[in-house]
This record gives sequence, C-alpha cells and structure tokens, in this order.
Amino acid sequence: MKLEKLAVFSKDEVEAIHSATISLLTEVGIKIDSNEVKQLLKDNGAIIDDNTDFVKFSESLIKEKLKTVPSNFKLYGPDGSFSFEVNTETSQFATIGTPVKIYDKNSKKGVRKTVLDDTIQQIRIVDRLENLVCSHIDVWPNDISYITIHSECIYQWVKNTKKPYGLGCLGRLASQDMMNMASIIVGGDEELIKRPRLIGFMNPTSPLHLPQIMTNGFSVFAKYKQPTIIAPEALAGASAPVTLAGLLTQTNAEIIGSVVVSQIFNPGAPIFFGTVSHITDMRTGNSAMGSIEMGLITAGIAQLARYYNIPSRGPGAGTDSKLLDLQNGYERLQTLMLAAQAGINYITCAGTYEATLVESLELLVIDDDLIGMIKRMMEGIIVNEDTIGLDVIKKVSTSETKGVNYLAEAHTRNHMKSELYMPKLADRARRSTWYKKGAKNIITRAREKVEEILNSPPIIKLDPEIDQRLKDYMNMVKGRTFDDYKKAEGLMTDSITLPDGIEIKNKD
Amino acid sequence: MNIKEKIKDLVSEWDTEGLIEYCKTILTNKEATASELLKIIGEIMKFIGDQFEEEEIFLPELIGSAETVKGAIDNVLDPAIRAAGEKKESQGKVVIGTVESDVHSIGKDLVGSFLFSNGFEVYNLGVEVTADQFISKAEEVGADVIGLSSLLTMSMDFQKEVIEELKKRGLRDKYKVIVGGAPTSEDWADQIGADAHADDAIEAVDKIKKILADK
Repeated sequence: MKLEKLAVFSKDEVEAIHSATISLLTEVGIKIDSNEVKQLLKDNGAIIDDNTDFVKFSESLIKEKLKTVPSNFKLYGPDGSFSFEVNTETSQFATIGTPVKIYDKNSKKGVRKTVLDDTIQQIRIVDRLENLVCSHIDVWPNDISYITIHSECIYQWVKNTKKPYGLGCLGRLASQDMMNMASIIVGGDEELIKRPRLIGFMNPTSPLHLPQIMTNGFSVFAKYKQPTIIAPEALAGASAPVTLAGLLTQTNAEIIGSVVVSQIFNPGAPIFFGTVSHITDMRTGNSAMGSIEMGLITAGIAQLARYYNIPSRGPGAGTDSKLLDLQNGYERLQTLMLAAQAGINYITCAGTYEATLVESLELLVIDDDLIGMIKRMMEGIIVNEDTIGLDVIKKVSTSETKGVNYLAEAHTRNHMKSELYMPKLADRARRSTWYKKGAKNIITRAREKVEEILNSPPIIKLDPEIDQRLKDYMNMVKGRTFDDYKKAEGLMTDSITLPDGIEIKNKD
Repeated sequence: MNIKEKIKDLVSEWDTEGLIEYCKTILTNKEATASELLKIIGEIMKFIGDQFEEEEIFLPELIGSAETVKGAIDNVLDPAIRAAGEKKESQGKVVIGTVESDVHSIGKDLVGSFLFSNGFEVYNLGVEVTADQFISKAEEVGADVIGLSSLLTMSMDFQKEVIEELKKRGLRDKYKVIVGGAPTSEDWADQIGADAHADDAIEAVDKIKKILADK
C-alpha cells in the first residue's frame, strides 16, 4: 500500500483545535486594515469593531464560505502545454523563498547579491527539472527597480519556462499588472480565469492581522481566480504561542479568516491552506526554519487542511545553515520528509537555504533528486501476486545452474524501474571508479548539471507581437513613480487610475 | 537584604508593580536617590545581559526583565530625575521603528530591548512608520541614532526613503542611521547610504556603540 499519512493529531484533537479556532474568530476576529474589505465583510454579516479594526465572523458565515472553496484545481504554464493538478491527495513540489543572495563559490564570502540573471537562471533550471512543477519570484533581482520587479519577472517567466509562476500579492496595482500581462500572454482574461497561470501568495501577519497591501493584491488574484497561497509565518514564542497547539490554533484562525475573505471576493476562488510557520530560537531570537518543530507544525497544517478539504501548502527543504554542509543536508531532508509524509499537497522552498534568504542553483538540482527519492517513499510497497514473486523465488532458488541470481530475470527487468528509484546525483560508485571520475563531491556534480541546463539552447519562442505588447506594458510600468504605488494602495492621499481603468479613491 | 538584591529579586520575578512600589518607598525614605537606583538597575541589567550571552537564561527571561525595569524607570525614576533637575546618564538616544508598508515588529522590538538593557534611551515608534514620523521624533527628542527595520524585500526601499528625506531636509549628518531586518545586508546599507547594518539585536548594540564612538 501507499505510505500512510503521518498524523500529529487524533480526531478529537483536530476537533479541539477547530473549536478553539471558531472561538477566536467569533470572539476576537481578525484585524483588517482595508476599509473596503471591512465593508465587504460587513455586507456579508461580519461584525466590525471600528475602534480596533477587528472583524468578527459568525460560525454560520465561516461554514457557508468554506463550502465554496475548491478542493482541486489545475495550473498551467504560459502556453498551456504544461499543467499540473493540485488536490487534497497528491503532493506537488516547487520553489518559494525570499533569497536576496546566491551561493557562489568564487565569491569571497561564498555568497553574493542576487541579480536578474540569477532570477532567470533559476526559472530556466526549474523548467528542466522533472520533480519541480513551478517557480516563484523567489530569487530577488536586486539590480531591478522595486517598482518594475513584478513586470520584469513576468516577462522573464514567459521567455524562459513552460511551467506556471508564482508571485506575491504585492498590492492591487502590481497584481493588476500581473493579470494584465498574463492576459496578453495567454490571449485574454477569459482564458486566464479558465486555466490559471499564476500562483499568488498572501501572508497574514501573525497574530491575526491582514495588512492592507496584501488584501489589496489578494482581491485581484481572487477576482481572476488565480490560486493563492494563504500562508502565515507565525513564530512560536514570538508572534504565536510557544506551544505548537497554540500556534496552530492561531494560524488556523488566520487562514480560515483569509479563506472567508477570499470567498467573499469571489466565490470559488482557489486557495492553498498554507503555512511557513516555525519557531523562535530562544537563545538568539532568530527564526529557525530547519527546526524539527517546523516539520511538526507543517504536519499539523496538512491534517487541518484535510479536515476542511482544502489543498495544503507547506515548506520543505528548510534549513538555517549558512553553508552547503551536513546541517544544510539533514535539515532540508527532515523538513521535506515530514511535509511529504504528512501529506502536504504543495511542498515548497526547493533550492533555498539560510531560512530561504539564500539561493543555490546546486541545491535546486539536489532537491529535485531528493524529491524523486521522497516520491518513491510515498509509493510505499506494492503487494500483489506479481510483486511477491513466488514463481521467480522458486525458480531462482531451486535452479540447478550454480551462481544463478535475480539480475538476469525478466521479473527484475519488468519491475526495476518502478520499484527502485535511481538517484541522478547521489554517488554509488566504488571508490576506485569515483576517483577515476574526478573524485567529485555532490556540489560539484550538481554544478555540472546546472551548467548543462544553462548551456542548452532556450526552447521558448515568443510571438513577436506578444513580445512587443509586453515590452510596451513594461515601459508603461517604468514610467510610474514610487508615490503612484503608495497612492494606489491607499498609503497616500490623492487618487490614481489603475491599468484596467478602475479609479482608486483617496485614503480615508 | 540590600537594595540591589531586593531589586534583583523583583526583576527576576517580572514583578513590575512590586518594583515600582519598592522604588517609591526607597525614594520616600531617602535610602537612595533616583540616579543611584538607576545605576543599580543598570548593573543588574548588565548582569542579566551577561547571563543571556552565556546562555544561562533565554530570550523571554531577558525581555521580561527589561520590561519590568522599564516600568519602574518610566513611572518612578525618570520623573524623579526630572523633578530633581538632574541629567539622566545615557549611552545615547535611539529612535527605532519598522518602515512604511511593513507591520513586522518583533525584530525591532528585540533591538529596542537590547539597547535599553545596555543603557540607551529608546524611542520605539512601532510599525509602518513614515519618513516624516522618524525624523520628527528624532528632532523632538534630540536623538543620536535612527534605526530602521524592514522584514520584507518589498518594504526595504522605504529605508532608503528615510535617508533621502533626511538629505532633503539637510539633516543627514545630524543623525547616524542603522538598518536591519532579514533581507537587508551590509551591501544594502552601503547602497542606500546608511551608516551601519546589523544582523541581529546583539550586533545592533555593538554597531550603534561603534558608530557613536566614531561620531
């Protein structure tokens, strides 16, 4: 049978957390900055406390809104030729993080600042890796102006991969740009809505707060039905209770509250029930993404997501190491394994280290290999007459020919590829052979794989007319000022007109 | 039990009310002056800071102690020092906050606590602080340092905006500016023209001491 899903809660414990979550949402609520969102919630029966900005949700409202959340959806690459399904049963693997530096063995400190070229290389590599289905705007292009990063990244996405792409819900103006550019690429809003290309991420701020910029962008992603990850990053002992059950109750309320908002924005808007929560190291105050507790929290979220029948997202490959060393290796595998064993449906953070602040293209290809191994683990052991193989056991063991073994048996040939995972990078050679081949460590072998991908010719041919329209759009974005964004998000007085003609009113 | 031991006990029990009452009693009975009490508290905080660095106690114990002490300083000792017309001894005045569009407060609050424990006067402006709010507060209290926190790649640019605004107002040389937060780095500090960058709260205290010594 397939591997049984790891459980960290009994049925009664899940109910206890759900019940505490309902208490939180009905008695305390969620702090919401945006007046527009508050009004929408009020129109739908939520109770607003004007003095505190907290919005309380009734249990019936929560139940009603949970009903319209899809339990599965598909995501497509720019030209629609690549797709994958997200559901509550299977696990898909992807990137996501916030790397502002990248591993570079030639650099004095071993890392250097990331630039747009690195962003492009990461997209190209993910495109070619078998086990990663999506890249996200994780490698931060430090050489690009803040106000054009989203448009530059969308352009590089369509130029470099056939897989979908993820971006943060960075306010309504940038999010609307993302939709408009994606719409140009896929041939219209209708197609974009029908077959979503982009994944958004919306991070509530723990405890219990939805900041204005995030809900502004979230509403745009929901309107276009682009699947959005709701992922609080609560830190046990700092922004959430130190007890994991307490953290999970609080973040569950943050997620459920956001889910209600998403379904009010647009019923049926696809979402991921997500987490990046972990712990605070009590000696330094730093967050610890490589901690074993992060794995437990992720497993808890997987179980809660199943309770609500919503696809889950959680981090794997998390590590706090500053090097490509043993700590990096054991922490990333431990968090990856726990996420997979717990049944998280969208497992992220491939290619990152140092709490996702640093990227390594080498780790990206190593993670692809680790994921292959984990996928094999998830398949468990298949038991049937053929796999028990009584006939072949009898045949080989009783053979009259001396030295007969299973290697040349048809049974072996027929089953070896499905039974045995063959790692692409892990070395299994004898020492003498390994020496002859240059005595390379895994980082060197991974680098060779990276070079091989980067040296291969690009496969994407972009229609010149679409190319031009995208460039024109990017030029329009370049013409904006920083203040335009602040006005658009309601951070400044004055009004501004959005790309699709919607006027944004003054800040109240 | 002498005064220092009694205060140490109250601090380790996070007994803010008890410490406030005890300080009031000491002052009423003229057993010590407010400045003397402040000095004793400074020694205790130094001891607690050392214990933390030795990993004998952990963060919640350090922060809880600092909050207790702050209660007594704000409510009893500072007013008493002002009433006596004395000047408060301080390592320096630091205005800190998280920049506009960013609501993350914990890292910056840790820096505040560490600075406070190390004898700095800290003005913590909270989150989503605008350039104008940073500068106005710094002007108002006569700050030495402005500390800018940002946890998001998308809010980092607002750190730059504060520095630009200082330049615009001709005040850049009047204040030292230190930046911090997960996506920031030494390179970033150089790029935007900040005076220093710190990776964590402990380093922030060291760096602030250093830039003030160089002033």
